[in-house]
Amino acid sequence: MPMFTPDEWQALRLSLEVAARSVLLSLPFAIAVAWLLARRRFLGRTLLDAAIHLPLVLPPVVVGYFLLLIFGTRGAVGAWLNEQFGLRLVFTTAGAALATAVMSFPLVVRAIRLSIENIDPGLEAAARTLGARAWDRFFSITLPLTLPGILAGVIVAFSASLGEFGAVITFVSNIPGETRTLPLALYTAIQTPDGDAAAVRIAALSVSLGLAGLLLSEWLARSVRRRFGS
Amino acid sequence: MRGTAVLIVSMLGSVVLAAIGQAAEAPPPARITVFAAASLTDAVTELAASYERDTGHAARLSFASSSTLARQIENGAAADLFLSADEEWMAYLDARKLVAAGSWTRPVGNRLVLIAPADRAAPIELRRGFDLPALLGDGRLSTGDPAHVPAGRYARQALEHFGVWAAAEPRLARAENVRAALTLVERGEAPLGIVYATDVRASKSVRVLAEFPPESHEPIRYSFAALAGRDRGEVRDFLAFLSSPAGLEVFRRYGFETP
Repeated sequence: MPMFTPDEWQALRLSLEVAARSVLLSLPFAIAVAWLLARRRFLGRTLLDAAIHLPLVLPPVVVGYFLLLIFGTRGAVGAWLNEQFGLRLVFTTAGAALATAVMSFPLVVRAIRLSIENIDPGLEAAARTLGARAWDRFFSITLPLTLPGILAGVIVAFSASLGEFGAVITFVSNIPGETRTLPLALYTAIQTPDGDAAAVRIAALSVSLGLAGLLLSEWLARSVRRRFGS
Repeated sequence: MRGTAVLIVSMLGSVVLAAIGQAAEAPPPARITVFAAASLTDAVTELAASYERDTGHAARLSFASSSTLARQIENGAAADLFLSADEEWMAYLDARKLVAAGSWTRPVGNRLVLIAPADRAAPIELRRGFDLPALLGDGRLSTGDPAHVPAGRYARQALEHFGVWAAAEPRLARAENVRAALTLVERGEAPLGIVYATDVRASKSVRVLAEFPPESHEPIRYSFAALAGRDRGEVRDFLAFLSSPAGLEVFRRYGFETP
């Protein structure tokens, strides 16, 4: 069992924090967008669909650069956030969470959208005939039935966020304790003279984390299946 | 049906063979592959272009932090020449028997400067214990990662010399090479940065606040060398060209120091 240094534990904690914040940030938007794409026909729907999938096909560095242009201290949104709320994104954990949220957003939307599309519209129609209003129908029928998709999306996004490198290092740089997550710590170890031992330890940490995530998601998927039948 | 399958398989097979054949037939690379420190980007690009005009030999250039390049070479990257921003990374490769014997030279030097975005800059005087936190405000000091990037190592020595390293260390934005550190200041993300004097000449949007005196850090001497087993005639020739009077003249024009 390799002994981890405090810096490595910090990178692990930070990775988990960034991933958790990124999922929390993207989830409400992802549910809304998934519902729109699954249930509504509107002008520009195809365009929205394509735009959301962009982070899957763009090099992560490009996404990081766009974020820097928009959310940087002198970017349109970044300057406004800083002035209005004193919220800084560049060099901060919040920025790292934003970058990973953007990168993993399409994965969450996909999972949730599939789930919504599989819901029998008859159930919602029936609820309407019984007098349930739109919000009521959404929260008591659509959302609970989407739960398996939401869970799947959350797990996929969480795991993807743990591994995000390009967008993070481009947008928020590589700052120990703020933005240096496991992959960035691994990158630094690889650059450092005689950093191989550290690189192997961090890689081992990443592998165990990935394995734990996969086992957890398998277990969750099973219990969801047991709960909802099929 | 069977005939069609055979036809398809043989067509696919010939495509694959053609692709492999092409790879196998490619002539041995006449090009020179140069791995150079990020701070050399502009000067070496120009030098390679003029060398190609004169000799017909093209050079492939790869710029990154000397640390990144050294580690790539250590892991088998097929570079012919390594131009490092410090001696340590060349020594690192030399200790692993990766440097061609007798090819290591140190023809150019550089200086270290403290910079700020051009619209916020007011020159300062560097004194022992100067108030770095006040200059930084709630921002960060952008420089190469002192763990491995040469510019960051020099920056660390200079800040230690002035007794402000302890204040600076938690406030660093550690970039993966010196040009990335420059970019952070250019974009206004970092209110201060430490880069080479030559980097600033390539940029209109930053200004020099102060130059670190040479005694505040190890001398910044670039190390040039051919790599073991790759010092063919044209590689030695390009290396010699870099240190020739014409080569040094180009380096001087970009602000490098030549002894």
